[in-house]
Amino acid sequence: MAHNFKTDLWVDWCPGCGDFGILAAIQQALAEYNAKPENYVIVSGIGCSAKTPHYVNVSGIHTLHGRAIPFATGIKLSNPNLTVILDGGDGDLLSIGAGHFVAAGRRNVDFTIILHNNGVYGLTKGQASPTLPRGTKTKGLQRPNIYDSLNPVALALSVGYTFVARAYAFNIKNTKDIILKAIKHKGTAVIDLLQPCPTYNDINTKEWYDQRIYYLDQEKDWDPVVRKPEEEEVEKKYLQAINKSLEWGDKIPVGIFYQNEFVPTYEERIKQNFPNYFEDPPATSQISKKDGSAIVDMENIFRDKIVRK
Amino acid sequence: MSKTDIDLIIGGPQGGGIDSAAQVVIRSFTIAGFESYGLREYHSNIKGRHSYFHVRIKEEPVRSLRYPVDMLVCLDGETPFVHMDDVTSNSIIIYDSDFENTKLDQVITMEPETQKHIREKFQTLKVEPVIKNLMEYQKSRGVNVVPISFRKLITDTLGQNKPPARYSNTLGASISMAMLGLPAEITKSGIASVFGRKKEVVEDNEKIVDAAYKYVDSLGIKIKKLDIREYRERFMVTGNEAVGIGKVLGGLKFQTYYPITPAADESFFLEGHDYFEEAIENQNEQLRKTGVVIVQAEDEISAIAMAISGAMTGARTATATSGPGFSLMAEALGYAGINEIPVVLTLYQRGGPSTGLPTRNSQADLLFALNAGHGEFPRIVISSGDAEEAIFDAVKAFNYAERYQVPVIHIMDKVLANSFYVIDKVDSSKIKIQRWILPSSDNEEYQRFKFTETGISPMGFFGKQIFWLTGDEHNELGHITEDPETRDAMMEKRMKKLEIASKEIPLEDKLLVFGDKDAEISIVSWGSNKGPILDAMDKLREEGIKTRLIYLRLFSPFPSKEVAEALKGSKVIIDIENNYTAQAALVIKEHTGINVDKFILKYNGRHVTEDEVYKSIKEVLNGKDKVVMTSGA
Repeated sequence: MAHNFKTDLWVDWCPGCGDFGILAAIQQALAEYNAKPENYVIVSGIGCSAKTPHYVNVSGIHTLHGRAIPFATGIKLSNPNLTVILDGGDGDLLSIGAGHFVAAGRRNVDFTIILHNNGVYGLTKGQASPTLPRGTKTKGLQRPNIYDSLNPVALALSVGYTFVARAYAFNIKNTKDIILKAIKHKGTAVIDLLQPCPTYNDINTKEWYDQRIYYLDQEKDWDPVVRKPEEEEVEKKYLQAINKSLEWGDKIPVGIFYQNEFVPTYEERIKQNFPNYFEDPPATSQISKKDGSAIVDMENIFRDKIVRK
Repeated sequence: MSKTDIDLIIGGPQGGGIDSAAQVVIRSFTIAGFESYGLREYHSNIKGRHSYFHVRIKEEPVRSLRYPVDMLVCLDGETPFVHMDDVTSNSIIIYDSDFENTKLDQVITMEPETQKHIREKFQTLKVEPVIKNLMEYQKSRGVNVVPISFRKLITDTLGQNKPPARYSNTLGASISMAMLGLPAEITKSGIASVFGRKKEVVEDNEKIVDAAYKYVDSLGIKIKKLDIREYRERFMVTGNEAVGIGKVLGGLKFQTYYPITPAADESFFLEGHDYFEEAIENQNEQLRKTGVVIVQAEDEISAIAMAISGAMTGARTATATSGPGFSLMAEALGYAGINEIPVVLTLYQRGGPSTGLPTRNSQADLLFALNAGHGEFPRIVISSGDAEEAIFDAVKAFNYAERYQVPVIHIMDKVLANSFYVIDKVDSSKIKIQRWILPSSDNEEYQRFKFTETGISPMGFFGKQIFWLTGDEHNELGHITEDPETRDAMMEKRMKKLEIASKEIPLEDKLLVFGDKDAEISIVSWGSNKGPILDAMDKLREEGIKTRLIYLRLFSPFPSKEVAEALKGSKVIIDIENNYTAQAALVIKEHTGINVDKFILKYNGRHVTEDEVYKSIKEVLNGKDKVVMTSGA
């Protein structure tokens, strides 16, 4: 019998929340990717998006505000044979966890980051998140936002993410397709997942997005993939992605902005020093003999510490 | 009693090879069959500021350092000033005569406050603060002063093309070993042992050794040759390295860290020993290669988060940090607590608060280690007092973490971290690895937080079982719940594990009692103070003063009954600690109701020495309630 990717918990998001679409897309993507259910781990931070793992019937770890990336990194590096997917909010990943978001781009650990982007902190009653433009007054704010917003796609590109995409929560099929591609990507994939917050963001509503969104994969000549491991090709695709990331307003592009499979993952970088890392990862490596004594020998490993005559 | 008992300080500018000089001394005396123990003191600075190395050499195991020192080797113009009170009559000062005319205010590397204190001493002596005058003063009080032009001796030996500053460290070390009566061949062995792979460096330094011995010969001083003892193969390690060795022997597979003094040296050491051979039993003791993954994280929050989540895949994981980094880890520590995750955190205490004294000693993070993180959750807190303890405690930390599924904090301090210890090989058969309880059958639905008699649930792993973790209060499956009855049951389940740990952890891992068990004078202490206290107790015993030391090793769960029992019959209890608020005494009071009445404290960031513990205990016995120890440059 096919594994049921839904848990039997009542999903407690507000009616009309974009998270429902994202959840359905994740469940469908996991079923389609078809790994052993035990080999999936969903990691989340804090906030509405962070409840996602509880609603998916694979292992889930709902962590601390802003720290989903380090938690996901620890899991993946201890057992590189697992499939790790991370759900974080825009406040979670781009404000309190911004340092980790930058570091993750430099590491290129093989996992997928789903950035739930709704412009507000929902669970604390609608404060402005880092993606809400300056001058915007959503209904939870006392006065218009005086922070400038950041551009998650451009930020991700500039710190080295090797797969950068945008999806829209209410197009479940397209979102599922992008998540699946992100999972299959070798390295860190980040998906800027646009979603309305029907309770606190009365500006960027479903209707607002529906009028603006267009799909890159329907554009003629749009090829986000780095085809050759050559500097010129990388630069061309990178600049094209940066340019595209600047489009916002009347038209909002959705789809894959950039994809480069030629950058070694952090796991492959570990393998340089530790050739059997994938076959004997930290998670499952034997550490003691049958009688419980140590398997390693001090003289063998630390011989440089011996004072020799 | 040890026939030989020598205290030596070598001082010079940071970056001037003090560390290598220290290694040459310790390695040479180890080759000569002696016991030694040494400590590095240094500023938070890369190059230029004063640093020194204090070592003691005996035939018997060395447990502490002592002032005044028998020999002071000064590689620069700052050392003679800074350590002017660390010598006494019959001590020897070896100094660079090129600094003869150096005035105190020309020593620009010295902090103005230190200059001021030294200037005041010279005002009392009624002479100008110049090295020349300082040496006259030292001679007048019976100190033997040996001037050497380092520059001349080095250029005469190696020619004009070699920078003298690069060799002054080995020259200083060689002169001191010549004067202590150690044969030149042994000093050369020590040099080769330090600079082993660099052939040219070894050859140059061997010439320096010959020149040093020749120079000492030419002085015409009568030097008693040391009786060389039998060499045996031993390991020279710092406390940082001891923890690293313990972790690897204990099965460490994943270590994370963010650079911080004095913790980073442990991870740096592990990075140099992260791929090795191990014996697989079921393949006829065949060797195979395996590794430890060491990750330098982007900050300490990330470091602990990675270690915590890594542990949930089944790997033995750990992180190491110092005060400021530990402060950042507090929230995640609670996450490990509520999610019952076995993770080990090695905490190297340094002077706080804030950046405090980043390279100096402290024991002021005990209460923080016991209380860090909001809310209430079980944790195990253990403390080590020397390199051998640190090795075994690093293994025990993992065992406790996995057995009780709790975060374990292993407390070290700067003195332990940066001291050189010479130890015997730890036999792998003596390392006992104890792991989690696993689920009995795969048929029933796995519950990560299943209620059990002991509070300990069978462990599950990502990649094996399906389960959930959350920082929220949760049900047995790991899903969020705010149900009041489940909350009570989960709190009680988690906290109960400490009662089980309290029952199972053996007495010797909780506390050790040293000295005269029926003595009416009891001392309580912990960490790196153990050695100097034991030496001071021996000295007091020679005078007929009997004491006992209750040396604390386990702070959480606190062994209340055992401590109360160990303190029975005490007429006076003296607490000795490196902090202002006498934190261990507060913990004892909290858990046993017993009042500690006398205090010997130190918070200037420098190491505690045998002589000052001895002197301070005498002051307490003469009626003082509190003594603040102030020694150390």
